[in-house]
Amino acid sequence: MTDPIRLVLVDDHRMFRSGVKAELDASLEVVGEAPDVDTAVDVVARTRPDVVLLDVHLPGGNGNGGSDVISGSRGVTTPAGAPVRFLALSVSDAAEDVIAVIRAGARGYVTKTINGADLTSAIRRVADGDAVFSPRLAGFVLDAFGAAAGEVAEVDEELDRLSAREREVMRLIARGYQYKEVAKELFISIKTVETHVSSVLRKLQLSSRHELTAWAVGRRLL
Amino acid sequence: MLGRDRFVGEDGGVQTPYTPPSRAAEVPEPPRLRRPVEGRVVGGVCAGLAEHLSQEVWHVRLAFIATTFLGGAGVVAYLFLWALTPQTLAAPAPRAATAEDSTVAVLAGRRISRETLRNLGVGAGLVVLGAALFAQQSGLNLRLGLLVPLLAVAAGAVLAWSQLDGAERDRWLARGGASRREGMVRLGLGVALATVGVVVLATQGRGLAGLWDVGVAAVAVLAGAVLIAAPWAVRLWHTFRDEQAERVRETERADIAAHLHDSVLQTLALIQRKADDPAEVARLARAQERELRGWLYAGPRGSRESLAAAVTEVAHEVEDLHGIPIELVVTGDRPLDERGTALVRALREALLNAVRHAEPPVSAYVEVGPELVEAYVRDHGAGFDVDAVPADRLGVRESVIGRMRRHGGTARLRRLDDGTEVALTLPVTAPTSPSSTTGATPPTGPAGPAASDSVPAAPAAPAAPDAANRANGANPTGDAAPAGTQPAVPASSAGDAPVSGPPPTEPQGARP
Repeated sequence: MTDPIRLVLVDDHRMFRSGVKAELDASLEVVGEAPDVDTAVDVVARTRPDVVLLDVHLPGGNGNGGSDVISGSRGVTTPAGAPVRFLALSVSDAAEDVIAVIRAGARGYVTKTINGADLTSAIRRVADGDAVFSPRLAGFVLDAFGAAAGEVAEVDEELDRLSAREREVMRLIARGYQYKEVAKELFISIKTVETHVSSVLRKLQLSSRHELTAWAVGRRLL
Repeated sequence: MLGRDRFVGEDGGVQTPYTPPSRAAEVPEPPRLRRPVEGRVVGGVCAGLAEHLSQEVWHVRLAFIATTFLGGAGVVAYLFLWALTPQTLAAPAPRAATAEDSTVAVLAGRRISRETLRNLGVGAGLVVLGAALFAQQSGLNLRLGLLVPLLAVAAGAVLAWSQLDGAERDRWLARGGASRREGMVRLGLGVALATVGVVVLATQGRGLAGLWDVGVAAVAVLAGAVLIAAPWAVRLWHTFRDEQAERVRETERADIAAHLHDSVLQTLALIQRKADDPAEVARLARAQERELRGWLYAGPRGSRESLAAAVTEVAHEVEDLHGIPIELVVTGDRPLDERGTALVRALREALLNAVRHAEPPVSAYVEVGPELVEAYVRDHGAGFDVDAVPADRLGVRESVIGRMRRHGGTARLRRLDDGTEVALTLPVTAPTSPSSTTGATPPTGPAGPAASDSVPAAPAAPAAPDAANRANGANPTGDAAPAGTQPAVPASSAGDAPVSGPPPTEPQGARP
């Protein structure tokens, strides 16, 4: 690690923010905190961090929580010129909450029960531009794209379905495999796994598949 | 007066402190205008009116008779009231109507509203007929023409008001500010229009030339009536909708309060009592979190009859037993049948094994596909020694592997770099059909090769089922890739026979 990753914490529970700060290791530097949407947009614009750790449910804004922070911070870049990246963090198990914040632009989703080491590596991955999927998010994806029911895309470019390999990767993540275990399992490199996951993330954000748009409409995002 | 006093006296709401005070209890309300079946002479109009106005019946009757001599007004009014007043079905003693009885009467009145409509039509026809007769027989045309519309308006207004609850009436009268002024303007306009219509009607001479004016007058009267009634109707509708929404909100809030009281508050109390036992506190908190989460997010889609719900329940049970969290992900769902139950039991054993002998995090993934159900239990234990399979592993072998095989499925254990994974597969047919009796002959298709696993004397191709089950065969590696070192449990014996000893290549069930 050359420079520490500059991080902003956005969560309306102060105790949770201090807990996260205590757990993160030295390669991460918390440069700002915010308890609600409007403060968060301000802090992000001012500090221009590498990664924003974003609670899905937040007061303020238009009532869409974390999604509002992401849309309010569009166009903000780090001093190095890279876009500010968002990692969603939630206690919510509701698919529509998670999918909504992903579709708003978050690069990944982890649950609040994640341990410090895993959180650190997830933040680092997001800072590198990769996607972070928890097992639960992988399960959502398999459900939403009909992959669990056997729907598979013929070509990779198809937005509304997962390719066979993407489905395999998602299944392994849902089974609790780390990226490196997925790579070993499928005899591919970690970089390839990351490519597949990023591709799934792109589909998740751009697909007009009914299940996804229905969730988004339910959250008044479209 | 008697009826009114009884009404108040028998409604305990005023005196009894435990009954929540309601509007009906605070404001003694005259009974609605009904025509009683009993105690009537002609149509029950006088009796009903007397009850409604808290007057003696003979007073009312006398008034009707007296007004009859004033150009027949009494008869006309009687006919109108008879036509427009609903009749009570059951006949409570008119003067001893308790609150309960009047409720019955109200319900009965609502039920016969169609009959009321018919009565209205008949009554109106009779009135027209009577008016025509009077007009022909006597020189009272003018006065009758004046009286009929006037009485119609008066009777209509009285009836419209009397059909409303006291509460509604209060609310309408208590409108404040602009809406009230607006209402007064409308009311004045309506009354003025009606008056103009009546005046036109009254001052008009006889003859065909007057027909046009009569028509205009009638339109004016109708327009006035509509003007008077329209805001009321709108308000009534709004009031009704507001009340409905409010009731829904209150019910929801009460539900939430009740649920929080039964669950969260109880758990918090328990946690305070067990503050010196961190493990117990963690277990309580975790269980409560799960319960609350399931309640908030409506749980894993649907009923206990589904496979996903059963899997979730089992995972939670194991969590509670050992206080180790299990990261459970379920995709898809299907109805729970006999073989599904077997899978759930096998999964439970696998989870128990994982939380007992391995280290967290323990994750479980269940994928319910159209032709195949797959379940994976993954832990992060230190692994196990393949050769050190003790005889007492019979439990796991029988309850996980044997059970799956008996129901036409497979169970495999594999050792990962970091932990162990149990993979259960169960071929299924279409969700609606009952489970196969043999359990060994799933339909053709991707799941087909799995059948070979449960056919006796078919120990070959241990990795074939899993690999073949991969979608489109696009993943030749899959789980089965390290098959050389991690073979599936071979079906070395007939499906139902318990495995008595570990075959040489079998690595499963070996975590002491």
